[in-house]
Amino acid sequence: MSQISRRQAMAILGALGFGATAAACAGPGGSTSPAGASGPAAPSTGAVTGKVSFAHWRGEDKAVFDELIKRFAAKHDGVEVAQDISTSNDYNAQALQKLRGGSIGDAFATFRGAQFKNFSEAGIYTDLKDSKAVANYQKGLLSAGQSGNNQLGLPYQVVFPMPMANVDLFDKAGAEIAPKNWDAFLAMCEKLASAGVIPISWPGGDVGNGGQLFNCMIANNAPVDDMCAQIEQGKLKCTDDWFIKMLNQYKDLKPFVQPNATGTAVEPAQNLFSQGKAAMLATGSYHIAAVRGLGAKFPIDLVFPNTTSDGKGKYEGAYNATFILGVNSASKNQAAAAAWIDFLSEPENAGYYANQTAQHVSVDKVEYTNPDLKRLSPWLQKKTALAARFQFNNLDVRNAVEASATAVISGTSPEQAAAAAQKIVDERL
Amino acid sequence: MSIHPGTAAKHKAPEDQTAASAAKVRRRSPTRVNPALYLFPLPAVAVVAFFLVMPTLQAFQYAITDWNGFSAAFNYVGLDNFIRAFTKDSLFTNALTNNLKFVLLVVIAQTLFSLILALLLTKNSRGSILLRALFFFPTILSSVSVAFIWKFIYDPNFGLANSVLRTVGVDGGAYLGNDAQALYWVAVTQVWFHSGQMMVVYIAGLQAIPRELYEAAEMDGANKWQQFKSITWPFVAPATSIVVAYTTVQSFKAFDLILGIAGNPPKSSLDILSTRIYSTFANSEFGYAAAQSIIFMAMIALVTWLQRRLLRLTPKGD
Repeated sequence: MSQISRRQAMAILGALGFGATAAACAGPGGSTSPAGASGPAAPSTGAVTGKVSFAHWRGEDKAVFDELIKRFAAKHDGVEVAQDISTSNDYNAQALQKLRGGSIGDAFATFRGAQFKNFSEAGIYTDLKDSKAVANYQKGLLSAGQSGNNQLGLPYQVVFPMPMANVDLFDKAGAEIAPKNWDAFLAMCEKLASAGVIPISWPGGDVGNGGQLFNCMIANNAPVDDMCAQIEQGKLKCTDDWFIKMLNQYKDLKPFVQPNATGTAVEPAQNLFSQGKAAMLATGSYHIAAVRGLGAKFPIDLVFPNTTSDGKGKYEGAYNATFILGVNSASKNQAAAAAWIDFLSEPENAGYYANQTAQHVSVDKVEYTNPDLKRLSPWLQKKTALAARFQFNNLDVRNAVEASATAVISGTSPEQAAAAAQKIVDERL
Repeated sequence: MSIHPGTAAKHKAPEDQTAASAAKVRRRSPTRVNPALYLFPLPAVAVVAFFLVMPTLQAFQYAITDWNGFSAAFNYVGLDNFIRAFTKDSLFTNALTNNLKFVLLVVIAQTLFSLILALLLTKNSRGSILLRALFFFPTILSSVSVAFIWKFIYDPNFGLANSVLRTVGVDGGAYLGNDAQALYWVAVTQVWFHSGQMMVVYIAGLQAIPRELYEAAEMDGANKWQQFKSITWPFVAPATSIVVAYTTVQSFKAFDLILGIAGNPPKSSLDILSTRIYSTFANSEFGYAAAQSIIFMAMIALVTWLQRRLLRLTPKGD
């Protein structure tokens, strides 16, 4: 081997360094868009075999999905489904990066709102418009998974982000479980407080769960249905009268939530409710399984804090269609992934999922045998507003707007809290 | 004619000049080595380039774009992201303020607390060793465990802090739910978590002090404070420099503790730079988050450099 000088060696290393620099300066995102992400097309067809990665965030549903996977595998020889479960926070932050390569999440779920929008824009979804599954869903509940003319995802769960009520405590206190207007709601809280229980257990220390009450509080106060989208766009403002009115109603709630509510995490809030110390848990029906797991034996119903003064509000409750199922456009096994989504969407399997997890589903003709779901099923027929907080696409804006309610509960004036929230919105416009 | 000694060197005899030039040429002449030798550092160079240089360079590049983290389309926006952080983003400036406050609180409290612990526990008695182990114990826990333990302690309904206070008839507070206090409570946790580690650094410094110095000082009639000032402090000063630098960086990056204790996203009263950057990434503002990361890096470098300049705790002669 011929010898080289130190200078030549440095030049070679320098060239390597320059090469690395040049490589580093490649356009961001240019080489990393998922294969086949040019636009939503129907999932590819073929034999239902091989391994399917199912990415989601509901660890509490693992055993139920395991059973469904067993049944799916029994129907299709040689197919295997593996669950790739992250916590909801991690899923929110990392799912897109994980899925875009296609090795994880052949089939996957997304949250409604910003995450669904990001996934849509990244071209991760295939179009399920012509799939076998789509026909099984209640038409009115599919909109959360649509983008233009495409049905990118299938919103699987129907949850009610409304306070859950301990019916026994309501009966004991003689409190009305379906108050017609805001005064009636406050009178109901007063009765519960007089009976020696905390009327509302509210996890104000948990941004995500504490924010669910906002869906109810804003539904009949806002002048339009897309109020949160309009706040984000600057068309409506947090300093508007209707928003201040809503914050004043939060202020009315202050005596009825547990002491130090702004420091309460979700688990202690669930415990207060499960132990019968609080009459309501202001999160939503998605916590039924959790509170049952904590030992709650009492019948559970939902209460809608109707914020109208005359009881003539547009809505009788709030719901959310979420856990939006999709097939990854970057997946190499789209046929099996689509078959898995089809399988989950069959009424029998959706019913199994619903009854075992205590979650309503948006699949039609499902028979609810779970006592909690049976009791709450009438809410599926009521005029409920699609949860408004998921209209926000900017999470900073959403957090700031919802934080105004928390600030009011902790003692800030509604006007000041609204102004602070609007400042963040203005900065993001 | 006499020649000035200074100029003598400049006016060397021609044969001397030739020798000097030859030496220069020898020094500059390329050393011929077997090229295979240069292959040995290549794996290390490649690892450093791939895992350190490239991501850092990419972060700088992303910082001047409006890339959202997944789209192929992006625009170069120059320094807009940096300007935005300081002029149009109160969430960022709030996080920066919180972070500086947190660093100041923790550095002062942790340095003092760990020094006091070390002074009290430096003797090798059985009790001291047990207490040292006790104070060191939190250090071996994962930050996530620490966060969850303290989250439970601070819970206003079922937490240990309020339960203890209730037994003596005092109504406890909301702790993390009180925006004015929340950062202080997390600072307490951070100090509890890391003081044991810093105590060990101080103990190592203290144990290196020759006992004879104290004996001589005692014979001279020096009291405890005078002994501390004239003997102990000069010996532990370099350790303080390390403790302060380490604590500064550690508290700047208290990401996991904050996220574990305050949840994701943390409330604005607990938002620090690292959690803000994380939120910005999660909000699909990749370019802006990269710019915030660079500001964060510069901030740590600046603060560390400043404290090294201001403290100058290394004894003269070292």
